[in-house]
Amino acid sequence: MPGKPVNTATKNERKLNFWERLYLPEVLKGLGWSIRKIWKEPSYTFQYPEEQWYPSDNYRGRPVLVQEEGKTRCVSCNLCARACPPMAISMESREIDGPKEREPVWFEIDMLRCIYCGFCEEVCPEEAIVMSKEYDLTFQDREEAIFGLDRLLVPKERLADRLAFLRKQQNPQFGSTWEYPRENNRHSLRDLTTDAESIQTEQ
Amino acid sequence: MSIIEQLDFSKTLSYWPRHNEAIYRRLESKHAWLEERHHPDDDEAVDPLDNEMILNIGPQHPATHGVIRCVVKLDGETIKKCVLDIGYLHRGLEKLAESKTYQEFMPYTDRMDYLSPYSNNVAWCLAVEKLAAIEVPERAQWIRMIMSELARISSHLLWMGVSLMDAGAVSVFLWTFQFREDLYNIFDEVTGARLTVSHSRIGGLVTDLGEKGIEMIEDFIERFPVAVGEWEKLLNRNRIWIDRVDGVGVLTAEEAVELGMTGANLRGSGVGHDIRRFEPYLKYDEVDFTIPIRTEGDALARYFVRMEEMKEAIIIIRQCLDRLPEGEIRSDDAKRSYPGKDEVYYSMEGLIHDFMVTDTGVCPPNGAEAYHAIEAPKGELGFFLQSDGTGRPCRVRINSPSFSNLQGLESMLEGGMMGDMVVMIATVDPVLGEADK
Repeated sequence: MPGKPVNTATKNERKLNFWERLYLPEVLKGLGWSIRKIWKEPSYTFQYPEEQWYPSDNYRGRPVLVQEEGKTRCVSCNLCARACPPMAISMESREIDGPKEREPVWFEIDMLRCIYCGFCEEVCPEEAIVMSKEYDLTFQDREEAIFGLDRLLVPKERLADRLAFLRKQQNPQFGSTWEYPRENNRHSLRDLTTDAESIQTEQ
Repeated sequence: MSIIEQLDFSKTLSYWPRHNEAIYRRLESKHAWLEERHHPDDDEAVDPLDNEMILNIGPQHPATHGVIRCVVKLDGETIKKCVLDIGYLHRGLEKLAESKTYQEFMPYTDRMDYLSPYSNNVAWCLAVEKLAAIEVPERAQWIRMIMSELARISSHLLWMGVSLMDAGAVSVFLWTFQFREDLYNIFDEVTGARLTVSHSRIGGLVTDLGEKGIEMIEDFIERFPVAVGEWEKLLNRNRIWIDRVDGVGVLTAEEAVELGMTGANLRGSGVGHDIRRFEPYLKYDEVDFTIPIRTEGDALARYFVRMEEMKEAIIIIRQCLDRLPEGEIRSDDAKRSYPGKDEVYYSMEGLIHDFMVTDTGVCPPNGAEAYHAIEAPKGELGFFLQSDGTGRPCRVRINSPSFSNLQGLESMLEGGMMGDMVVMIATVDPVLGEADK
């Protein structure tokens, strides 16, 4: 049953009795309340720069690029740049030899533009850009706020929490019984054999 | 032409003088019904403070809840006329939406009513889903409801803290912010950000509500009603508070409807209109709750309404948690919303859909129009969308509750006392990020 508008006013809601109309007891009541809070309440704050806050795995900090075996996972498909609402991401691509075939020449995120929405992470087909747990960024000037590959690349091991969370939570697979064999995730048709072999040895 | 004339920008840069003059002209020429309302003909008494004064309050004033400017004409301490100047926080969201895909615009709605960003996300997604006829899985709808009600509590808590602080009770602000901190922790755990949640997506949600999130919400709804009870014990029978708000900013039911007030401002005047009941969205037609109303229409009535709405929100969340089904949180139609990550990583079709949904997004049929409104904490928040068949909206119109509510503020202020002005602004509960869009 949907909600029902009810006049929930109680009797004498606005009429105060004699004792309540006395001014001083109310002042004392309020003061007593505050003093009780001082005694009873545990401290609710922490001393921020000294005590650091460690965010949960779900937290969207600054976006970083996953570094795997010294190289970026990014194949420079520009999808994150397309999905980015404030257009903070830009990159230049080049073709390389190897199974991935492509990589970014340069990759920049303007951290003054970034709104930490996590769309780049959501759309990335390679799990190459993820949101880290870093949240306190400061810059001296605008140039410094444009993060290049040097500051964006973070080793996979340091992002293990977030990557595990993404596996578990984000965009889970629904309503399908199809299994997704890893061999399907081939990056190159050039050397199918070596790619398949490397996956088999991994397994 | 001499060089001095060339450098004289006074004509081209004269927006502010012209704007101010227009405001003052409007104030002068405004016909307020004050004489009839407050000085009946037989009342010959002359106010000893017979000095008219024009006073600017705001845009930057701690009591104006944002950047709102009130130009008032004072007769002694009575406000004779008032002209509101809004638009200081205008960011052109409606125009901005036309150059974004439906998905891309979603984070921008966080920045509208920044006290309850989740409700805005839900409103936008529901409007787009209505426009493109997208089915949302049950679980996603229930989670959206839970989070929207938490957003309602969060917004009302801020309203309560700030309005009591305006009335002089600073410590209440700190107590409500303690619970807002709890709410922010819940939002952080569930959505990934404290304020700019960006959690709802076209066709569902981005992440599921996990065990820990449910635990935190359950813990909150255990503790919160106790705290509300304590606050009510302190405030409901408190002479200082009741004297301050009783009979301040009265709007009758007719006036409230005529001025287009929404939300608690309307229900405080005795009009029992709530979109959750009359045009149920999500699963509001399946849960049981009452819509508290009052008939007095003053600031105290709105205070009671909002306090009870917070308690009702807890009741709704309890029912949602009981009935939260297992299942999907995102539409399974890969043409309308993102496919699962496994599919994107390991199948060609998934990858193509990922690119398609990002680049073109949902494409509602050409000429389709939809208006969808939800009961946001402040009132009716509606999005009108017009599609031209592409992935971007052709036209977006935002019907924001703060903007509608501010229309009634002028009429409330006129005839009021100068000292009650901060209380009246607080009782309307405007958020200027939303009013100015």
